Amino acid sequence: MNVLTQLAILLLICFVGEGVALLLPIAFPSSVISMILLFLLLLTGALKLRQIEDAADFLTKNMAFFFIPAGVEILENYKPVADKILPLLAVLVLTTVITFAVTAGTVHLCLAVQRRLGGGARA
Amino acid sequence: MTAWTDSTLFGLVLSLLAYALGVFLNRKTKLPLLNPLLIAVTAIALVVTLLQIPLDNYRKGGQFISALLAPATAALAVSIYNQRRVLKQYFVPVLLGCLAGSLASMGSAYLLCKAFGLGDALVATMLPKSVTTPIAMAVSETLGGIVPVTVAAVILTGILGAMAAPLLIRLFHVTDPIAQGVAIGTCSHAIGTTKAMELGELQGAMSSIAIGVAGLITVLISLFL
Repeated sequence: MNVLTQLAILLLICFVGEGVALLLPIAFPSSVISMILLFLLLLTGALKLRQIEDAADFLTKNMAFFFIPAGVEILENYKPVADKILPLLAVLVLTTVITFAVTAGTVHLCLAVQRRLGGGARA
Repeated sequence: MTAWTDSTLFGLVLSLLAYALGVFLNRKTKLPLLNPLLIAVTAIALVVTLLQIPLDNYRKGGQFISALLAPATAALAVSIYNQRRVLKQYFVPVLLGCLAGSLASMGSAYLLCKAFGLGDALVATMLPKSVTTPIAMAVSETLGGIVPVTVAAVILTGILGAMAAPLLIRLFHVTDPIAQGVAIGTCSHAIGTTKAMELGELQGAMSSIAIGVAGLITVLISLFL
């Protein structure tokens, strides 16, 4: 299918996702709602993989690129915390290592328990 | 120096060139520290600062790139869909991993901020830094954080996660691709997921799932703070 049509489908889903976000009582990010919507559409078969595959592939393969403008905004926003940069960086590095270790450890442990309980088909 | 940069194409071309440079340097040196996004952002920051170009001129083109951030995040659903059988089989480990990771991220951010004597506003700014930008912004705002600084922290965390993932995997002997993916997605959201995708589709899918699940959990936890 034409890549522009594929992109149109993805953007339409995101547009609907933004609408859903407006209706929710809590602040929930529309991009995650759109992700859930797209997953459900694929799961139910309402949308076929080939109808969006090329555009989705392009977007996910080049994901880092789309973060560039948000990253450049750092230029205008570091001033209020300029004197706290070092402790903030320390927090950033330490929490990243801690979060990684705790998550990997928990998944590892759960997988071991699940496999011991047999098969792992059910949990 | 500002007239010729007052064009939508300026931001687009500069971003594309800076990213191409980042990818080139990363491939050439194979150094994780030379992350393409980090190089691109640094290069653009240098160009804009040294040539004294107003950031608004860059934003004219930049906003078109940012507009594709939402569909790019949504498109992660495709890799989750491709891995749906694995997800069904390992649903509980993935869910519990994200829960433990989100609690560890917010808990350690809180304790470390306090330990370094950072004020309440900065604590609220740093609490949601491991989750994807739109969620982190919403949580930071609700808790009274400085939203632009949260965005910077989120992106730096992402870049750090992408850079450090291979190292952390070796350091903690994380041999299972599912554990690798979930850990990368939980601690460094979509930017980390770019590295998970490179490690393999299974890691990429698990990392994508973790972005959504950890994000959801973080929002839910923040409702109680």
